[in-house]
Amino acid sequence: MSVAPRSSNYMSRPSSSGLVDVIDLILDKGLVIDIYLRVSLVGIELLTIDARIVVASVDTYLRFAEAVNRLDITQDRSEGLPQLVNDMQEGGARHKTRGALEGVKEKVTGLVGGDDEDDGEEEQEERPRRRSRPTRKGSER
Amino acid sequence: MSDALPPDRACYVYGIVPVGTPAPEGAAGVGDPPAPVALVSYHEVAALVSEIDTSRPLGTPQDLIGHARVLDAVAAGRTPVLPFRFGAVVRDEAAVTDELLAPQEQRFLAALEGLDGLAQFTVRGTYREDRVLREILDQRPDIAQLREEVGTLSEDASRYQRIRLGELVAEELRTRARAAADELVTRLGPLATATARADSSADQPVNASFLVAEDRWEEFEDAADGLGGDWEGRIDLRLLGPLAPYDFASELVDAQGRRSWD
Repeated sequence: MSVAPRSSNYMSRPSSSGLVDVIDLILDKGLVIDIYLRVSLVGIELLTIDARIVVASVDTYLRFAEAVNRLDITQDRSEGLPQLVNDMQEGGARHKTRGALEGVKEKVTGLVGGDDEDDGEEEQEERPRRRSRPTRKGSER
Repeated sequence: MSDALPPDRACYVYGIVPVGTPAPEGAAGVGDPPAPVALVSYHEVAALVSEIDTSRPLGTPQDLIGHARVLDAVAAGRTPVLPFRFGAVVRDEAAVTDELLAPQEQRFLAALEGLDGLAQFTVRGTYREDRVLREILDQRPDIAQLREEVGTLSEDASRYQRIRLGELVAEELRTRARAAADELVTRLGPLATATARADSSADQPVNASFLVAEDRWEEFEDAADGLGGDWEGRIDLRLLGPLAPYDFASELVDAQGRRSWD
C-alpha cells in the first residue's frame, strides 16, 4: 500500500481492514456482477453469511441489563470495556465490535479448513442467489 | 492465465479500473493459495481478476480479506476502482471481456471518471460502554431506579424487569447514537464529496463512509482525529481508508457516471 496511515492520537488507524470491517464493506456493497452477466457466471458456493442481522431481541436487552447491573457506581475510575466487546482482537489491530458480530466471526473463522462436512449440500442449486443473502452454510438459525 | 480454463478453474473478478492500471503488487487476493492478480483489458477499461479453484467454496476469512486487500491497494495507489461485491466469478477471461467489459465499457468508464482523485474513508465507532452506561444512570433517574429494583430481586423473579431495563438502556443508547452520528456527518461531511451513512445501532453508534478527494485526505484524517479527541473515553473511533468506494460505486455506475453530488 503506498499510503502509510498517519499517526493518530485519538482514534485507531488500522493499516489494513480486519475481518469484521471487511465483512461490513464487501458482502452487500459494491457492484453486483449478476446484473451484467448471464451466460458465463459461475455459481460457486459461498460460505459467507449475512453479517448484518442485528436484532434488538430480548437477548440484546438482557445483555444491556446485565452490563448496567455489573457497573459498580461507587468505582469511578473503572472504565475498562466489558468483556462482551473486549475480546475482538485480530491481526494486531483492535476491534471492538457489536456483540452480534462476534458470533459471525466465530462462525467464519470456524470455516477455515473445516469445510468438508457438507460439501455437496448446495450443489443442487446451479447458481446460488448471491445478491442479497449469500449462501448460508449449514446454518439452522 | 490461459484463455480456456479447465473446468475446475474460473476467473474471480475484483473490480474495474482504467486500462493501463498496473496489477497491485504484493496484494494477495482470493483463493488458497491466492493466484496472482492480473488485468483483463478491453479498450479503455480493465478488470482485476485472478484464477480460482471452483471445487472449493469461497468465503473463508482469507478470501474476504483478500478481496478487500486487492481493491484497497488499488485505491491507496490513487487509482479509481469500481469494486464488485464479494463472490463475482466468471467462467474465463474471454467471458470477462465479451460479456462484462465490452457491453458496459462506456458505463464503467464514465463511473471511473467520476471517481477520479477520490477514495472512500469509513469511520466507525463503538461506545466505551461502562462510561456511557454510567452517564445514562446519572441522567435518567427512571433507569437508575429500575436498576435498583432489579438488584433486590432474584434473577428469575426479575426477568421482566430486566428485559424492561435493558430495553430502556438500549433505547437511550440508540438516541445517543443518532446524535453522535449526526455530529460525525456534520463535522466530516463538509470535507467529503459524498457521504453514505449507515444506520446507527446501540452497539455501533457511529458508522459512515465518505468519498474524499486526494487533496483533502490529510485534512479529513485530522478532522476525524479531532472528533476522536472530543469523544475520548466515550466513543472509540476507528478510521479505515483510503478504501475502494464500496459504498458509492453502484450509484455511480447506475447514474452512468453522473454524480449525484455535483
